[in-house]
Amino acid sequence: MIEVEQLTKTFHDKKRGEIHALNAASFQVNPREIFGILGPNGAGKTTLLRLLATVLRPTSGTAIINGHDIVREPAAVRASIGFLSGDMGLYGRLTALEILGFFGKLGGMGGAALKKRTEDVIARLDIASYADTRIDKLSTGMRQRVAIARTIVHDPPVLILDEPSYGLDVPSARLIENFVLDARNQGKCILLSTHVMEEAEYLCDRISVVHEGRVRITGTMEDLRAATGKTRLREIFLDLLGIPARAQEARA
Amino acid sequence: MNTRIVTTVYRKEILELVRDRRTVVSMVVVPIVAMPLLFSAMNYFMSSSEKQADRESTTVAVSGPLAMPGLEDALKSAGFQLKNVQDLRAAVRDKGAAAAVEVSEAQIRIYNDETLPASEKAAAKLHELLDTLKDRQVRVALSAKGIPEKVLEPFTVEDVDVAPQGTRGRKFLGGMLGYMVILLMFTGCMYPSVDMTAGEKERKTLEILLASAAGRDEIVLGKILAASTAAFITATLNILSIALSFQSGFMGKNLRELMEGVRIDGSAIALLLIAVLPTAVTAAAVMITISSFAKSFKEGQSYLSPLIMLVIFPAVIGMMPGMEASTRLGLLPVFNVSQLIKSIFAGDYTATAFVVSFASNFVYAAVAFVIAVRMFQREDVLFRT
Repeated sequence: MIEVEQLTKTFHDKKRGEIHALNAASFQVNPREIFGILGPNGAGKTTLLRLLATVLRPTSGTAIINGHDIVREPAAVRASIGFLSGDMGLYGRLTALEILGFFGKLGGMGGAALKKRTEDVIARLDIASYADTRIDKLSTGMRQRVAIARTIVHDPPVLILDEPSYGLDVPSARLIENFVLDARNQGKCILLSTHVMEEAEYLCDRISVVHEGRVRITGTMEDLRAATGKTRLREIFLDLLGIPARAQEARA
Repeated sequence: MNTRIVTTVYRKEILELVRDRRTVVSMVVVPIVAMPLLFSAMNYFMSSSEKQADRESTTVAVSGPLAMPGLEDALKSAGFQLKNVQDLRAAVRDKGAAAAVEVSEAQIRIYNDETLPASEKAAAKLHELLDTLKDRQVRVALSAKGIPEKVLEPFTVEDVDVAPQGTRGRKFLGGMLGYMVILLMFTGCMYPSVDMTAGEKERKTLEILLASAAGRDEIVLGKILAASTAAFITATLNILSIALSFQSGFMGKNLRELMEGVRIDGSAIALLLIAVLPTAVTAAAVMITISSFAKSFKEGQSYLSPLIMLVIFPAVIGMMPGMEASTRLGLLPVFNVSQLIKSIFAGDYTATAFVVSFASNFVYAAVAFVIAVRMFQREDVLFRT
């Protein structure tokens, strides 16, 4: 469903020169799979996700999403994905209903089909009681539900989630976890970037660790344990980043 | 390009705009109240300064009895109050009197301060009075010698103003109002443009929109159309507010006299709206382009403020009374439309000037749109850090 091939992105900065944000990243994500992207700040995770969402254009390499090339068919790629970030990106002056209508129409839906889909999503995420309230009047948890509804309103086969639980309390983060697990059960292909090790360990079928723009390792938790000799994902992660054991202990 | 998506983006932008208090104030409230307020203020200051000049222009300084028989009585019967002072110059300069009169042999000297309306008015009244006195004395002398009065006026001189009645007033009104309409239109477009570009970046909604199925050209076209609508609504409300103030007599006596002969009827309003339409689109496309560089609403505002200043220059040049439109100047953006508005109010626009202005502004709008789309394709603009 997602095939990333030698995907590279270089930025040009007047002061710092060329910055290799992502260097020849390659991996595959299958339907009914949750694929985690782990990496420290500045590792290239957001760049990778933005490239796949066709918000940025790659310097070289490409990716195929749901059969569409991100360089040659960006519009078809965007119609196949649901993109969610930790910022939620909701229009504060609109209501949940208006937002769902807007993104449903952009996703090619309309008329009775959009109405039914909106009602289904609202019922599934228990939004009905505040569907007509402006977003800027809602609590963080309520907004999170609306953001999820917005991501899936056009029923995309691929979900790209950029630190979706960033800054959330435990109950709100649990809502995200349930959403991701439900999506997998429905056969969706899910790419999830996160900083939360427990979340990655609990949710992800496979994980890639990205550091300094390069994919350091890709595999299941068992593969990662075998490659590093460590047990917990946190230790595996630090080991792959090249942070020595003493420093790991000190930080722990 | 999918027009259905463009319409969807446009509707979303308009919905957001009408729910933003800042936009509603700049787009609706300001253009409606600005002109009536300006007219009221102008009328108030004009009539109060006139009244003050009337009141203060009656005191005339003299130093002792005037050495001309009948002059003192003539001054008093003309309503002047005489004030005895030592230093006539100082009395006028220090506003102790509006003017001063000094008689020495066959010469009468009037002291006045031309920078003060009351003093100028007093001097004019004194001149008129003294001319009448002089005239009367000459006629008496001629009559005593048996010479007919006709000798004083061997021929007459008459000025004939060929300009249509009220043209001067229309030019003044057109120039000032054209400038106000354009300035307010740009101001009305500013908040919406910043809100739907830099504002979206700041609220973290732009990335989600860019990751949706909508194309960049569809998104930017929807945004430009929404900002154009805001600019056009501002201009329309402003023009209607001017027309209403004018029709309702809200302007008061002084302004009405100044604008004698001016008619703002339905066809003038329709022409004005057609004239400003392409400029509204240009303003929107330029503002969307510039504000898309900004990372925050505040930064966007500071980017657009110099543009507003830039708009003022050609608009003010167009407002000057002697400035006439030519084909070459008709290609100058902002200037051409301000000239056209002025001509429409004056009722002397030509079809050529209208077409040149409309067509050139239409081309500017298209160019600005293409640039805006290109800017929206640039990652270094949208994701500037």
